Amino acid sequence: MAKIIIIALVVLAIAVYLIFHFFAEPPPPPVSVPPSVQLLESRLVGRKDGARQWEIWAQSVLQAGESVTLNDMDEIIMFQDDEPYLFIDAQRAVWERKPDILYLHDAVVRDEDETFYLESDLLIWAGSEETLASPESVFIRWQGLEIDAAEMLLKAQENLLYLKDDVRIRDGSMLWRVESAVYDLDQESMEFFGSLVLEGEVGESE
Amino acid sequence: MNRKIVTLMVVVALLVTSGRFALAQSQVGTLEITGVPTDVAAGRYDREAGVFSADVREIDGASITVKLEDVEITGKTMEWRTDDNYLFFTVDARLTQDDFELTADQVEYFGEDKNLKAEGRVVVTTEDATVYADHLDYDEETDEALFTGNVRVVFSDGVLEGERFLMLLEKSELQFFGSFQGEFTDEENGEQ
Repeated sequence: MAKIIIIALVVLAIAVYLIFHFFAEPPPPPVSVPPSVQLLESRLVGRKDGARQWEIWAQSVLQAGESVTLNDMDEIIMFQDDEPYLFIDAQRAVWERKPDILYLHDAVVRDEDETFYLESDLLIWAGSEETLASPESVFIRWQGLEIDAAEMLLKAQENLLYLKDDVRIRDGSMLWRVESAVYDLDQESMEFFGSLVLEGEVGESE
Repeated sequence: MNRKIVTLMVVVALLVTSGRFALAQSQVGTLEITGVPTDVAAGRYDREAGVFSADVREIDGASITVKLEDVEITGKTMEWRTDDNYLFFTVDARLTQDDFELTADQVEYFGEDKNLKAEGRVVVTTEDATVYADHLDYDEETDEALFTGNVRVVFSDGVLEGERFLMLLEKSELQFFGSFQGEFTDEENGEQ
């Protein structure tokens, strides 16, 4: 009887081996995952020549390839002469290292006393060209101006601010509504393209 | 002759009652530049100097219009100094209000001084008369309009010509300086 059981087990073992060896699908090949680094609750500090340039505190920093993604950021602080001068709040930031492009989603940029305030759903800083673009609607408060525009491009080297589509600029009691405008930040002058409407108070205030 | 004087007085009365050039009070106004292609810059505002300037001379169909209540000023070029509220229109400059119209080569309005000047081919048209002159100087404080240089006042039934013509609008008074000559048609008798 024991002989019969042993023979049956051997037959079963041979059958199982044959089934798995010849009929079962081979396991899928391993997926190629690029090496990545994830840091949690991180404070990143950027320095140039030893001087602090910027500081970022984020819940999550993920580096994958050439892309660095920061989530749940507290604040980005930009420094000038080691003093904070610009604060950026953003939901998410993605830095493409090679082309040096920084995407800031749901961003608010302001200076310490909020004389400068910028709000945009998406800000794109192109480091090589030194341009800051908002391909979506933007609101800026600066030097007594309140600016709304559907699109914005700041050319930092030339200090020119390009505003496009449905541009509204409030300057005190004056409200400019223009198709597009270029604001020369050095000259403090604006050039208006296309048709425009200015509404405002004219004459003496009595 | 009494009828001519009455006609003149009607012109004055019309100017007085319509309060022609009253621009200096604080008002909400609009400035519009229309007909400008989107890739062309027609206006420029210098914030530091507080000067807005616009030029649409080279753009077909484009115009610059300032509206202050029922007063409308148009032109092809303009400058506006916000600090002292100075407006300067040139090329097809035109000021209209109801049935009143002023056209000139250039129209300047000095907001602080409450003074309006028009120069070059000045034409003031009302329902009852048309005044032609080289210059118009209107003082809002004294409500006086001074026409100078080749002045012609044309009524439906006559013409007055001279060099200097002052309308004292508040007093409903007309003053002619220097030599003036007039020519009227007596409609009843058909005589001149």
